Amino acid sequence: MATDNYDAIIVGSGAGGGMSAYHLTKSGLKVLLLEAGRNYDPRVETPMFNTNAEAPLRGVSTPDKPFGFYDATVDGGWQVPNEPYTVAEGSEPFIWWRPRMLGGRTNHWGRIALRFGPLDFKPYSRDGLGYDWPITYDDVAPWYDKTEKLIGVSGAAPARGLLNTPDSPAGCLMEAAPPRAFELFYERAFRKMGVPVIPMHGAVVTGQMEGRNTCLFATPCGRGCAIGANFQSTTVLLPPAMATGNLTIRTDALVYQVDMDKGGKAKGVSFVDRKTGEHHSVTAKSVILAAGSGETARILLNTKTSAFPNGLCNTHGMVGRYLMDSVGTGVTGQFPALEGLPPTNDDGQGTQHTYIPWWGYEKQKELGFARGYHIEIGGGRHMPSMGMAGLLGGDESLVGDALRGALRQKFGSTIGFDGRGEMIPNDDCYCEIDPVVKDKWGIPVLKFHWKWGDHETNQAAHAVKTFLQVIDILGGKPEGHVETDGKKAISKGGEMIHEIGTARMGHNDKDSVVDQYGRSWAVPNLFIMDGATMVSSPDKNPTLSILALAWRSADNMATLAKQGAL
Amino acid sequence: MSDAPEAPETGPYVSKIDRRTALAWIGVVGAATAVGAGVVVYGPLKGGEKVTRGYGTDPKLTKPEKAPWSRIMIPEQLQTAALLADYILPANATAPSASSLGVPDFIDEWVSAPYPDQVRDRPVIMNGLNAMGAKLNKASPADRATALAALSASTDPNTKKFWKKFRHLVIGAYYTTDAGFKDIGYIGNVPRTSDPGPSAEVKAALDAQFKKLGL
Repeated sequence: MATDNYDAIIVGSGAGGGMSAYHLTKSGLKVLLLEAGRNYDPRVETPMFNTNAEAPLRGVSTPDKPFGFYDATVDGGWQVPNEPYTVAEGSEPFIWWRPRMLGGRTNHWGRIALRFGPLDFKPYSRDGLGYDWPITYDDVAPWYDKTEKLIGVSGAAPARGLLNTPDSPAGCLMEAAPPRAFELFYERAFRKMGVPVIPMHGAVVTGQMEGRNTCLFATPCGRGCAIGANFQSTTVLLPPAMATGNLTIRTDALVYQVDMDKGGKAKGVSFVDRKTGEHHSVTAKSVILAAGSGETARILLNTKTSAFPNGLCNTHGMVGRYLMDSVGTGVTGQFPALEGLPPTNDDGQGTQHTYIPWWGYEKQKELGFARGYHIEIGGGRHMPSMGMAGLLGGDESLVGDALRGALRQKFGSTIGFDGRGEMIPNDDCYCEIDPVVKDKWGIPVLKFHWKWGDHETNQAAHAVKTFLQVIDILGGKPEGHVETDGKKAISKGGEMIHEIGTARMGHNDKDSVVDQYGRSWAVPNLFIMDGATMVSSPDKNPTLSILALAWRSADNMATLAKQGAL
Repeated sequence: MSDAPEAPETGPYVSKIDRRTALAWIGVVGAATAVGAGVVVYGPLKGGEKVTRGYGTDPKLTKPEKAPWSRIMIPEQLQTAALLADYILPANATAPSASSLGVPDFIDEWVSAPYPDQVRDRPVIMNGLNAMGAKLNKASPADRATALAALSASTDPNTKKFWKKFRHLVIGAYYTTDAGFKDIGYIGNVPRTSDPGPSAEVKAALDAQFKKLGL
C-alpha cells in the first residue's frame, strides 16, 4: 500500500469522505481512503424485517447498543471502547456519538435531507449575531441539485416560496410519501395556527431511479438498508467509487496525525491499526480530512511541528473553535381522537412524511431569540417495543381482556414532537486536546467545553410551549413531566449528533482554518471536507449540506490536481 | 371478590428455551441456596462457567444469537412468573396466553442481564417473585384468585414496585411477538411496492374527529 502513488488520502468514509472519494475517483485521481472502523457491508449485515422478539432483551437500548439492538451503529455510540473523551470541569454536558464502521454515521442517520437556505449562509448580515459564510446559497445551490439527484431524496412538491426554506428545482426530488393518519391529524392544528406543514425531504428512493432499488415502505432506516433504497455512503458512494478502480479502502485505520514534509506541505498521514496496534505511515500528494468535526480537529491539534507548535493550521487558535450542535427539544402527547382508528400500515418511508419548517423569521425580536427551529413529528402504529405499557397512561390495574382492549384502543394514539433548532456559535463551545488523558494507543484525546446561550434556551422554551399548544388544540394531553424551563428542556451538547464547526471556512487565515473549498490556509495540499468547515449551524440537519459542500470542494480540488497545483 | 377475574389455569411451566440453555439453567438451580424466607443466593453454575458478559458492541444483527449471559431464575420462580404473566394476559378465544409465548423465559433473560437497567430491576422482580410464589404456588384456586386480584390495589411499596415493573415487562414481552402484533393490530413490517397512505375508512374516521374538535 505504501508503495502506491496516491493522489489523495481521505480520512473518514462518511458523508464528507464518501462524497470526496466518489468525485475524486470519478475524476481519475488515485485515492486511499482510511476508515477508523471495521469494514461494513449493509447488503448482508442489515437486520431488515427482524422483530424485537428475535433480539436480546426485545431490542431495548443498552450501553452496548445505545440506540437499540438493531441500530446500525457498530462498536460505538456515546462511548467507543478504548477511545475516551473528556468534558472540561465546569462545562455543561457534552456527549459525542461515534461509530467505528465503514460509512460512519451515514449508516444509521435520520435521512432528513433539508437544504440550508439563503439566510443560513449570512446569519451575521441578518441580525448581527454569529458569522457569515464566505459563500452564498447560490454558490451551493447547484451542488444541492446534483447531490439530491445522486443520493435520491423524496419530497417533491409544488414550489411554496417559503422564506429561507428552499424549494428544490423540478427534477431534483422524487415523489413525496403520502401523509399518514397522524400526519393528516396534526396538520389541522398547525393550519389553525397559520403555520405551513410541507413534505419532508427524506434521503429515501420513493420512485423509480436508475441503478437504485425503491423503498419497501417498511423496516426502520436506522438499521441501514440492505437494498440501498436510502442514502448510506456504503451503498451509494463507495461502490461506484470502487468501480472506477481508483479507490483503495483500508479499514481499522485510526489516523492520528498529518505527516508534514520540510517544505511545509502534507506528505501523508500516520495511523494505528485498531486490531494489531501497529503504527503505519502512508503518503500521497494531498490529504483530505473528513473524519467528523471532532476527529478532524483532534488530528489537526495532535499534529505538532516546529512551524505549528499548537497544532496544524492552528496558528491563530481557530482549530476546535465554534463547535456547534442543533438545539433539541421534545414533548410527546396522547390523543383520544386517534384512539380506535382502523388498523393501518404506518411504516412509511422511514423518515417523516411531512414536517414544519421554521415559521417565525419575521418576528424573532418579539420572540426573544434570534434563530428558529423546525419540527420533526413522529407517530402512528409503529412496530411494538418494550415500552408498550406506556400507552396505558399510568393505569396499573387492567388485566386480561380489559388490558388487551385498552392497548388496542390506544395503539398509535401518541405523537412525539421534536424541535431541531439553530445554535449560534459562541466562545464557550470548543474542543481542545486533553493534557492528560490518552486513548488505548497513547494518542491524546479531545476535551470538550460547552455552554448553551440564551438564544438557544429561549428557543427551547418556545418550542415546548408550541408543542403544548398543538397538543391542546388536538384535544390531547402531554405525557410525563414536561419541562417548560428552556435551560432544562434543551438537549445536551452533542446529543443531536449534529456537531459541526471546529475548522470553519472563511475569508482569510485569521478568521478561519480553510477557504470556501475546504483548502487549508496553512497547508496548500491539505483539505477538510466534513462538517468541521461549517460556519453556522442552521436548524436544518447538516448531512445534505456536508455532502453538497464536499462535492463542491472535491470538484475544486480535482481541478487543482489537473492543473498540477497540488 | 365477585370482580376478581377467574384464576388462570396455568399448568406446570415448561421453558420455551433450547436444550443448551436449559442445561446451563439446571446448573444454576443446583447452585442456588435458600438462606431464609424468600431470599435465594445464586452461586456459580455447576459444571459450567457462569457467563455475565453482554452481547458486546458489535453483535450479529441479521440472525441475533441468544443473549450470552447465564440465567438466574429457578423453576419455582419461573412457575410464579408464569402464573402472574397469565393473570395479566391469559389466553382468550383469539390470542394465546403470555406463558405459552415464553414470557417467563424472557423475564429470566431480563433479570439475568448484566446491563444497568436490568441489574436495577433484578431485585425488584426476584424478591417479588419469591414473595408471590409463597402465596400463589400452593394456594387453593380461590385463595390464588384473591391474592392476584389484590396485587394492583396493594399499598405495600415493594409489592407496588414489583407489580408495576413486572406488568410492564410482561406487556412489552407479549406485544413484541407476532401474536402480540396480531392482538394489538400492528399490520406493518411487510414489503410494499408503494405507500398508498391511509384508507378512505381511516380518513373518514379522522374527519369525524376533526368535526368533534372543531378543526
